[in-house]
Amino acid sequence: MTDGARVRRLHPGDEESRVELWVFGLNHRTAPVELRERLAFRDDEIATALARVLEATPLDEAVLLSTCNRVELVAASAPDADVVEPVTQFFARERGVPAATIASHAYVHRGKPAVQHLFRVASSLDSMMVGEPQILGQLKEQFRLAADGAAASRVLRRCFERSFTVAKRVRSETGVAGKAVSLSSAAVELARRIFDDLGDKTAMLIGAGKMSELAARHFVSNGIASVIVTNRSFDRAVELARGFGGTPVPFERYPQYLALADVVLGSVATSGYILGPTQLHDVLRARRRKPMFFIDLGVPRNFDPAINDLQSVYLYNIDDLAHVADDHRAEREREAVRGEEIVREEAERFWRWISRRDVTPTIVALRGKLDGIRRAELDRAIAALRKLEPDERRALEAMTQAIVNKILHQPLSVLKQLAVQDEAEAAEVAELVHRLFALEAEAGGRARDADDGDEDA
Amino acid sequence: MSEALLLRLSMLLYLVGTASGGLSLVQPRDSTRRVTAVALAAAFVLQAAAIVVRSLEVGTIAVGTLAEQGALFACLLVGVYVLAQLRYRLAVLGAVVGPIGFIGALVALVAHGGAQDVPPFLRSPWLPVHVTLAFLGNAAFALACIVSLVYLWQERQLKAHHVGTLARRLPPLETLDNVNFKFLGWGFILLTLSIVSGVLWAELSSGRLWSWEPRTTWTSVIWVIYAVLLHGRLTVGWGGRRAATLTIVGFGVLFVSFIGVNVLTPGRHAVSYG
Repeated sequence: MTDGARVRRLHPGDEESRVELWVFGLNHRTAPVELRERLAFRDDEIATALARVLEATPLDEAVLLSTCNRVELVAASAPDADVVEPVTQFFARERGVPAATIASHAYVHRGKPAVQHLFRVASSLDSMMVGEPQILGQLKEQFRLAADGAAASRVLRRCFERSFTVAKRVRSETGVAGKAVSLSSAAVELARRIFDDLGDKTAMLIGAGKMSELAARHFVSNGIASVIVTNRSFDRAVELARGFGGTPVPFERYPQYLALADVVLGSVATSGYILGPTQLHDVLRARRRKPMFFIDLGVPRNFDPAINDLQSVYLYNIDDLAHVADDHRAEREREAVRGEEIVREEAERFWRWISRRDVTPTIVALRGKLDGIRRAELDRAIAALRKLEPDERRALEAMTQAIVNKILHQPLSVLKQLAVQDEAEAAEVAELVHRLFALEAEAGGRARDADDGDEDA
Repeated sequence: MSEALLLRLSMLLYLVGTASGGLSLVQPRDSTRRVTAVALAAAFVLQAAAIVVRSLEVGTIAVGTLAEQGALFACLLVGVYVLAQLRYRLAVLGAVVGPIGFIGALVALVAHGGAQDVPPFLRSPWLPVHVTLAFLGNAAFALACIVSLVYLWQERQLKAHHVGTLARRLPPLETLDNVNFKFLGWGFILLTLSIVSGVLWAELSSGRLWSWEPRTTWTSVIWVIYAVLLHGRLTVGWGGRRAATLTIVGFGVLFVSFIGVNVLTPGRHAVSYG
């Protein structure tokens, strides 16, 4: 029996600050959409669902993350609590899905892997489209719902706030979110390779297809100065133009305006090309050969491929854009490897912090250390004094014990107090105590590599 | 500080500028851009100081050997670049300009000395003015040529519908085109001024405005090429690929004739001062 175990029994209250972290969930890789949509929670359902889950399970804190690609419960509990079964039952009851179905599609992460998972999700490394920016916003919003309802407090607050920082780091230090992966954003990206500044450029929308409307919107939100809209049905052109704050022109007259357009988006239903090299010749001259970027989103194609050979004309059709987007996607995936490294490193740091935040092992180890010294010295003294009466021996024992207790009283009460008031500082002080007394945490080796374990204090 | 020490320090800074310029191709950050700009600017100042030291030694501007001319050219090229990148985002060009400066400083260091005495008829305050204007003009044309090469490469990628990672780090086509035009304009003005200064100098010293010799002949050819290019640009809107190609051709003629005249023909403009 170790001294630590005995001391722990003497101080059962210290147990309360120990914690286990959980992620319980399923995502686009583990569960089909039919199951995901049945288990999903709307934002306005989340607060009450959280209240019920805390009621029905041994969890102390919980955040419910529900998007179209995942339903996850991030939670904290006491270390030895059995939560997997009750949580499965909770989802089963809540959504009327057999518990066995849920269990067969769900994953459970516990401890450091749970932290790592949350960081991966926040950094968009676990997303269907790696690097997509929406997930972080959803995470923040749903964390806020939990924090407002007091379902997330001490531990999860720390954990989520850290995950936001990690996500930012992954974003800025790797290229996971760097390149455009949708067709519209690939088009804008290409335009940026051609034009100095979109702020003085004009886009022309020929035809009112869904794709070209989306692309035009992208150009508008990226600061293009103006949009000209033309369509076989003029009413539709007027309607679309109103949406962008653009100018509608009648379809018969659009060639007159072509010289004004730097970016031309085509998506007219047509049997032949609506524009070829001959028509463009005069347009280019009128523009003094300033570059023109043609984006052909029509099927069949709107623009004669031969115009790409004209000087200062760049033509991309829908397949070309898809190739560009594919290249970018492949690059994002390469960058994701670096993102994973950052996440691993940060999860490691956070986990060290959360372990240190709990001052119990420190207290146990410190007591154990001093008690060991006391014992060794006492044994030597007793051996040296040889013939001692039993009550003399007890007096010596009591005296040394009292000395150790008195020495420890102040530092330990400060540590315990800190653990309640300021976890970050408690973690730092605990770390210092470990170093001052050369303590090893009883969990084994935690102290050794904790040099930078002070987290974001 | 001695000339050699100045050159060594400037070479060191050129390496730093080249490395961070290269890095900004891989990972564009504001910090690397700033390091590139500052390192190259400092390297320029040190190399210029070395040239001043050398010039004081010689008694007039140090262009007595091909090595010294190369060094002056490289130094001014960096100087023009440093000024230009205050206006335009050209940090990635630091990776090209840095090595040029480095080689210039290296050449000056290795091929130090060896100049013959400057003949008396060249010992005139006109010499530094005339030479500096001419070399500044050449430096601007060289930068225009570099920008045009980048333009052509990137244009080809865009036309081929394949835009690599590197292309994303480079300035957009339109920017390159604008910058090319600016360099050409400045180069042309400087070239014209250097011709004017040469003419004035000749008139004042020998009473002859112009003499047809290899350097002056080639210079007029080059002047005409750039004049045509700028004219086309201003009137018909020559730009993009055509302007880039002509810029490269123009600089090719300039470069070959410069070396050719220096090495092959005697005369006032040759290295050996005839």
